[in-house]
Amino acid sequence: MRTRIVLLAAVLVLLVLPFQLGTSALTTGTFVVIAAIGATGLNVLTGYAGQISLGHAFFLAVGAYTGAKLGEDLGWSAALWIPAAGVVAGVFGALVGPVALRLSGLYLAIVTLGLVFIGQHVFFNAESLTGGPQGRTFPPVVIGPFDFSAGQVLRVGSLQIDSNGLYYYLALALLAGATAFAWNVRRTRSGRAMVAVREREIAASVMGVDVRRVKVAAFTAAAFMAGVSGALYASYLSFAQPGEWSLLLSIQFVAAVIVGGMGTVAGPLLGSAVVFALPTLLKNLPFLPEEAAGGVSVSDLSSIAYGLLIVVFLVLQPRGLAGLPNQPKEAHS
Amino acid sequence: MTLLEVRDLALRFGAITAFEDVSFDVARGELFAVIGPNGAGKSSLFNALSRVYEPDQGDVRLDGRDFLTLRPDQLAGAGVARSFQNLGVFPHLTVLENVLVGRHHLMHGGIVRCGLGLTGAEERRHRTAALDALKFVGLAGHAGTEVQLLPYGHRKRVELARCLAMEPTLMLLDEPVAGMNAGERAEITAVVSRLRGERHVTVVLVEHDMGMVMQVADRILVLDFGVPIAIGTPEQIQGDERVIRAYLGEPAEEVVAA
Amino acid sequence: MTEFLQLLFQGVSLGATYALVALGFAVVYRSSGVINFAQGAMLLLGAYAVSWLAVDVGLAFGLAVLAATVLLALAGAAMHGLVLRRVAGRPTFVLVMITIGIGIAVTHGVEAAFGPDRRLLGDPWGSAAFQLGGVTINTVKVWGIAVTALALGAYFAFDRYTRWGLAMQATAADEEATLSVGVPVRRVHACTWALAGALATLGGLFLAGFPGAPQPALGDAALRAFPAIVLGGLGSPVGAVVGGVLIGVVEVLTSGYAPASLGTNFYAVAPYIAMIAILLVRPYGLFGVRPVERM
Repeated sequence: MRTRIVLLAAVLVLLVLPFQLGTSALTTGTFVVIAAIGATGLNVLTGYAGQISLGHAFFLAVGAYTGAKLGEDLGWSAALWIPAAGVVAGVFGALVGPVALRLSGLYLAIVTLGLVFIGQHVFFNAESLTGGPQGRTFPPVVIGPFDFSAGQVLRVGSLQIDSNGLYYYLALALLAGATAFAWNVRRTRSGRAMVAVREREIAASVMGVDVRRVKVAAFTAAAFMAGVSGALYASYLSFAQPGEWSLLLSIQFVAAVIVGGMGTVAGPLLGSAVVFALPTLLKNLPFLPEEAAGGVSVSDLSSIAYGLLIVVFLVLQPRGLAGLPNQPKEAHS
Repeated sequence: MTLLEVRDLALRFGAITAFEDVSFDVARGELFAVIGPNGAGKSSLFNALSRVYEPDQGDVRLDGRDFLTLRPDQLAGAGVARSFQNLGVFPHLTVLENVLVGRHHLMHGGIVRCGLGLTGAEERRHRTAALDALKFVGLAGHAGTEVQLLPYGHRKRVELARCLAMEPTLMLLDEPVAGMNAGERAEITAVVSRLRGERHVTVVLVEHDMGMVMQVADRILVLDFGVPIAIGTPEQIQGDERVIRAYLGEPAEEVVAA
Repeated sequence: MTEFLQLLFQGVSLGATYALVALGFAVVYRSSGVINFAQGAMLLLGAYAVSWLAVDVGLAFGLAVLAATVLLALAGAAMHGLVLRRVAGRPTFVLVMITIGIGIAVTHGVEAAFGPDRRLLGDPWGSAAFQLGGVTINTVKVWGIAVTALALGAYFAFDRYTRWGLAMQATAADEEATLSVGVPVRRVHACTWALAGALATLGGLFLAGFPGAPQPALGDAALRAFPAIVLGGLGSPVGAVVGGVLIGVVEVLTSGYAPASLGTNFYAVAPYIAMIAILLVRPYGLFGVRPVERM
């Protein structure tokens, strides 16, 4: 009962938020929700199935460029290019999966790291798709009569929702879908198998769990959500260079999942709120000197902050923000 | 009727022989135990039967089918459930979820159908079966508890419930009472004995603890230095000279009293 | 031919530095089972420590290097004592993530403290060079190769012939058993982290030598050394050194000879492509062995 009230309150807050926030805060909020979609995917892979991945940025990029190709170059509707971004990224995830099967833990981390580097190399050089080092524009979301381009306003009765608000609500709807999907997976056969593989791979396989299939499924789902998140992210930015899809971005997602609480339902959103809103938050702190004045840059400061957050949470609060309200008793051993 | 046939099984690590000349039959519904002092080759035999080690020679048939061509992850589908000596439970899953993992091979929902919430009926059906297995081991009241929060004896019972939920034709138990105190040992012994009595599961169990084996087994195979030295009912084994000598030369009564 | 020799020399020189970096990874992995993603940050910190001590504080260069090495060794030990020791026994995944967190924080901490621009290293060699059979030999690179060889020799002698080296090997093989025979395992761990810090100083120092400089991107070199440890097999110091030299040579040769069709800066990803190809064939590296899983 209590959880339902909390859930209901959270949903209400998320729904009315655009009317309470100023434009800059809403922009940050939209980025947070878009990122949370990708973090939900990484949570399935890392939180449930226990597979380390530093390659999330690569799958975001695949989604982003799929969106650009289909939406801008070929003129498809966003109702098609957003899911297509997920599917194409998912296919790449399914291709990486088999490599992952052969490799355990740390080797996997390094290979997914390699994926980011090789991906960046390709993106920097594939000028026709990515615009090369100069970057390229990404299509705004247009679905039938709904145009999300900057400057457009949607009127619903007396309510007015601008472009920022539209992106926010679209992202929120997709996040709700991703969260429901992840939650359903977690409490049924597929998710149990993932946790079993994470905890004791051999025991799981003796129970008849096909470890390969479980890992490939987790990789594919994670990549799908990353692809959707990446397509939406690039579309909201409207312009991005290949440098955007860096190792740092991957690490931000890892940080979001850890800070929010690995394997929890609310974790990805809570963690994304902390990690991806951090730069804005820091920028608005009164005691920070202006960047131009030769002070410490906001990006440095936020990187330091989430680096430390990863450490602090893993050492002191491994269940993340989502685990704060209900601490379990100390485990017997 | 014979369920499991083992013929001339042998396993060697280089020049060292883990066991050899092992032959026995297990009838359907029988509780068959393998015992022996430390280093007798019990664990190696168990690992060969559970397809972790590849035996160097011999033949194993389950229900007439060649058993040695199966991979470990095909065991469940072939109707074989096994337990682990050091507990094979998943600590961060609840008791019920642990048992449900045992029914993984009986269920069908893949990630897409699971994620879209289309497997509710299947989940409910198997939940009932899993709860039934939990009731059998007396843990129905703990269904929602994370396994890591349970004491050792309870965790072992979770593992047994999971084996049972797999609906196996053959259950392999690896030293089910190893490292337990007297109370836990009695608890687990009772559950194993009821497995055979009430559920008619065929069980092959490898165990160090003589007392437990004498209480539950129909027949016993005794290994010493990798070689079978006796096979028979508990009464026959208790009176066997070679067995008594193998167990540190103690008088038979003391061994049995354990 | 001259061009080839020139590239080969540069490759060996770069490879020697990678070997130092990879050895830093390997010693930590061998004792704690952790890939230290903060190693890049330690390289950076090492190079900046030398630069700060030599340029800003004004120590003689040799003294600055010595002091920086000691400082970094302390930093490594502190990292173990303050953070990693507290999470001993948790899944490897957690430890690795923690080193990633530390790495990010330290890298950007250095950038915040010293700014984003290139700094002077304060070394006496600068761009000095001499010719040998048409090949340009930079003095700093000769020093780099010589110091690397010395450091590697010292490490292997330490590992082979001293009590501490033996204790490290024993700890790596079986921590509990080692503890039970009276070896202070915790101190052994601290010692390996200190060693990693010291190695990072030397690695960072020569990465920052001509034509490089102390700059925030320096730590990325550690990421390029990853393929070296993977090729060598995690936890094999000899493998790390061989892999390091190999990667350096491959990187420089590719930068010289790769056709333009492979894209600009192909050399930077070539080691990764080689690594993934090799891992598909040998999942535990060239010298690594599959760990035994207990039932």
